[in-house]
Amino acid sequence: MLKFKLNPLTEKKVARFRQIKRGYYSFLAIVVLVVFSLGAELFVNSRALVVSYEGEWYFPTYGEIIPGETFGLDYSYETNYRELKEHFERSNSDNWVVLPIVPYDPYENNEYEGVFKPSPPSVSERHFLGTDTTGRDILSRLFYGFRIAMFFSLVFLVLTYLIGIAIGCLMGYFGGIFDLVGQRMIEIWSNMPFLYVVIIVFSVVPSSISNSVRIGILLTIMVMFSWMGMTYYMRTGAYKEKARDYVAAAEALGASTARIIFKHIMPNTLATLVTFMPFTIVGAITAVTALDFLGFGLPPPTPSLGELLKQGTDNLTTAPWIVVSSFFALVVILTLVAFVGEAIREAFDPKKFTIYK
Amino acid sequence: MKIDYYARSGLSLGLIFLLSACSSKDEDASAEMDPETLAKVEALRAEVKEYYETKVSLPPELFEDLEAGRIEQEVVDARIAAGEFPRFFQFKSLEDLPADLVWEDGSDLPEIGSPDAVKGGTVYGTVQDFPRTLRTIGPDSNGSFRPFLLDYNSVPIAKLHPNTTEIGPNGQLYFPGIAKEWAIDKANQTVYVRIDPKASWSDGEPITADDYLFMFFFMHSKYIKAPWYNNAYNRYFKGITKFDDLTFSIRVSVDKPDFTSYVFSLNPRPEHFYGELGDDFPERYQWRFEPTTGPYVVEEEDIRKGESIVFTRQKDWWADDKRNYRHRFNYDKKRIQVVRDNAKAFEMFKKGELDAATISLPEYWYEKLPDDDPLVEDGYIKKAVFYNQRPRPPFGMWINTAKPLLDNKDIRLGIQYASNWDLVIEKYFRGDYQRLNHSSEGYGQFSNPEVKARKFSVEKALEYFAKAGFSERGPDGILVDGDGKKLSFGLTTGYTTLKDPLTIIKEEAAKAGLDLRLQILDNTAGFKLAQEKQHEIHFMAWSGFPEMYPRFWDFYHSLNAFEPDGSLKTQTNNLNSLAIPELDEMIETYRASTDVDEMIKLSHEMQLMLHEEAAFVPAFYIPFYRVGYWRWRKYPEDFNVMNSEAASEYSLSWMDVEEKKATLEALKRGDTFEKSIKIYDQYKED
Repeated sequence: MLKFKLNPLTEKKVARFRQIKRGYYSFLAIVVLVVFSLGAELFVNSRALVVSYEGEWYFPTYGEIIPGETFGLDYSYETNYRELKEHFERSNSDNWVVLPIVPYDPYENNEYEGVFKPSPPSVSERHFLGTDTTGRDILSRLFYGFRIAMFFSLVFLVLTYLIGIAIGCLMGYFGGIFDLVGQRMIEIWSNMPFLYVVIIVFSVVPSSISNSVRIGILLTIMVMFSWMGMTYYMRTGAYKEKARDYVAAAEALGASTARIIFKHIMPNTLATLVTFMPFTIVGAITAVTALDFLGFGLPPPTPSLGELLKQGTDNLTTAPWIVVSSFFALVVILTLVAFVGEAIREAFDPKKFTIYK
Repeated sequence: MKIDYYARSGLSLGLIFLLSACSSKDEDASAEMDPETLAKVEALRAEVKEYYETKVSLPPELFEDLEAGRIEQEVVDARIAAGEFPRFFQFKSLEDLPADLVWEDGSDLPEIGSPDAVKGGTVYGTVQDFPRTLRTIGPDSNGSFRPFLLDYNSVPIAKLHPNTTEIGPNGQLYFPGIAKEWAIDKANQTVYVRIDPKASWSDGEPITADDYLFMFFFMHSKYIKAPWYNNAYNRYFKGITKFDDLTFSIRVSVDKPDFTSYVFSLNPRPEHFYGELGDDFPERYQWRFEPTTGPYVVEEEDIRKGESIVFTRQKDWWADDKRNYRHRFNYDKKRIQVVRDNAKAFEMFKKGELDAATISLPEYWYEKLPDDDPLVEDGYIKKAVFYNQRPRPPFGMWINTAKPLLDNKDIRLGIQYASNWDLVIEKYFRGDYQRLNHSSEGYGQFSNPEVKARKFSVEKALEYFAKAGFSERGPDGILVDGDGKKLSFGLTTGYTTLKDPLTIIKEEAAKAGLDLRLQILDNTAGFKLAQEKQHEIHFMAWSGFPEMYPRFWDFYHSLNAFEPDGSLKTQTNNLNSLAIPELDEMIETYRASTDVDEMIKLSHEMQLMLHEEAAFVPAFYIPFYRVGYWRWRKYPEDFNVMNSEAASEYSLSWMDVEEKKATLEALKRGDTFEKSIKIYDQYKED
């Protein structure tokens, strides 16, 4: 149960949203997927869930790597749990290993017929969607790729909205010269070729920078070139609201500019924005996929839909399962999010609740 | 010195491969020229004349001093004015030719073309990008289209015989091109050349000694906007002497066993075409096809910008009957089309729209055109593997020893043992490629067979990393030192196609506790990064030139590693930032040496020393090229020549036009032919 009370109008909107079955179930599906992907390590991972060795139990999923030596193997790097399982089974000991459903992580290269090449889907090998050009499990890469893309898009959404809303409201509220100059700046800024900036920036980023920072840089660049769209809606919204009596009342009461903008005007303009959110997510996923497809996106070997799609189109005839899996994964994700967006838009449609006289 | 990036074009000029060419239809068009152009032509004529009269040749040492700023330009100018140096351009008569010259013409060498070859037909090819210019020099000219214009379509003075590795008393063995014969004066590093009287430009003008004089004016000139060539043509040549229209000699300023190659590879420049040479050269000559010494020309109406270019074979090419040029260049037309996507080009090939495709990559050889592909099975498409022998592009990881930690030899040794290239070769390249052992393989006797690349070994890697203070594994399995610093380096490359092998290397290195952060850039950005020495570890290969002996100065001399103030020197080929005094000494001796045996010995010693420095992790080399081709495409009996980088390099193939028709009809009917998968391993190395 929700603890806080929603405004009755919002409650109506939520109820309406739940009535739109297609959107509502899509929403639930996405929530389930995201929750699952948060615990991806428990389902899709090369690390075992539980190892029982010499009477002691180990849970390798999270935390430090456990070197092979721990389990009586002859190497100091991370244990290969699939091999460990076979090893235990062969030696008929009491030791045992429980592996996740998909016992592969998205980075390891698996042999197929003695070489690293794509292998077709196989239930017995537990490569449910096959492997890619260097023998990495596709399901695993899709799953982790989905998680990264989803969270990337969410952070992207929050950042672009924060910047876009703040600047849009300011322009709408202050108007005049500030608005005029701001608008021109935005027009100039929007004409910067985003793709070139990505290429140029990544060619000067020193290689000593870690992958997570590089993902951060990509995110920053994308945000820098995407916040402008939001400002237009917020600017108009703020313009409209500014003329209303309650703003004048707040001003008369001596409220500060910041308070008026963020406390009074903004909440009243936000409703429209909610309807944009799912589409921003769709846009962000598409953008990052496209960048990966072109090779300018997330640094390799980060799992990503775009990279898989590229591999798929390059091996259309020889390994069709790559393109099929990545294509369907992308279609399903984008369709689900788009359905949610559609439903929200409908639920928030003011015509449902307003009677014009 | 710039050597071009291997993957960028594959071609690239180490030294002086230039051609000249031009096209224009107006030989003596001064009559129709507008006054402005006419004035320009007149001015240039005067400029050339004055240049011939005043240009002097500076000794190479002076050149170096000048470059290093040890001597002022004014001082040199004063010395020039005082008449201290000999003239670069000299004019003499036939009587002045030394009497004791021994004239050679390489006629004892076997012929490379196949007598079975038939002329005719149109061949279809693709390029990924439309060329940005038809010039073969100046801005944007060094792209993947240049081989069509220049490298594969020109006749040098003489050409290295691609089927011999023998080194004779006068260096390697050459067959004549523009030259009818030549004579070598070893003591003075001079080559005398008699031009084949038949030799002519594609516009009909005869090729004369004047075109070679003009070549030097052209290549020295600032107009062409090619500083590298300006420098090389000044530095490596002492001068040219004209004896008569068809006889000249060129003197080289390097006293090396292969000094003749500097002369033989020269391509003349047509003086009559470059009348309007000036500051606007890049734009003015952007889309003009220079008359060529080679067989194929481009007509203006055959250029469809952004789409295609058609090369047409001259009806009566001057070298049609010349030994080693006959039976080659067999197609009447070559239609080169822009196809941006490799995968698409391959599909076109499988549909029969292209005659042949290079399928060296295992992925293509085994998966995309497997032996049991219906087209192969039914004999429509033939497959061939040809093992070649040539200097091997040194694919490998260049460690920048000027970066923190990487200056520690133990760390570098650890990286050597942590790089599992043998696994990549075996499991990814399916054992087809070979492990490279050092950075100068494929130079015959100059390559040290004793130097072997280090094999992957987690134990040894850990041992060396531990020596450098990295003995504990962190929570993610990567080694850390006492302060908790991770053993992590950036591994960069500009080869997007080699992303997969590098991810395997990364995964394997993690087993040895080494973290490699991959960064895959596009070609230009990757090369720039390494040229600015910003890399920690950079994966790339230099072009392998068909040269007699490997170079060390460019890649390993301290002059190319650091500036006098100790900062890193950018835009050089010393990617390891190596500066070792003993090595410098050896390089200098090697550079100055005129003795083959001494050079071989030094070369071996230096390779061993570099191996011990462990700054280059040798990756692999490709000992062959593989081709898939439709049955109407024909190759000589032994397929190709030993020293070839691609099946098309020496233009030895031809087509059976009738058979093409018949084959395409048979394909509709579903006939089958004999399956053909051939391996040509006559030049295979052990």
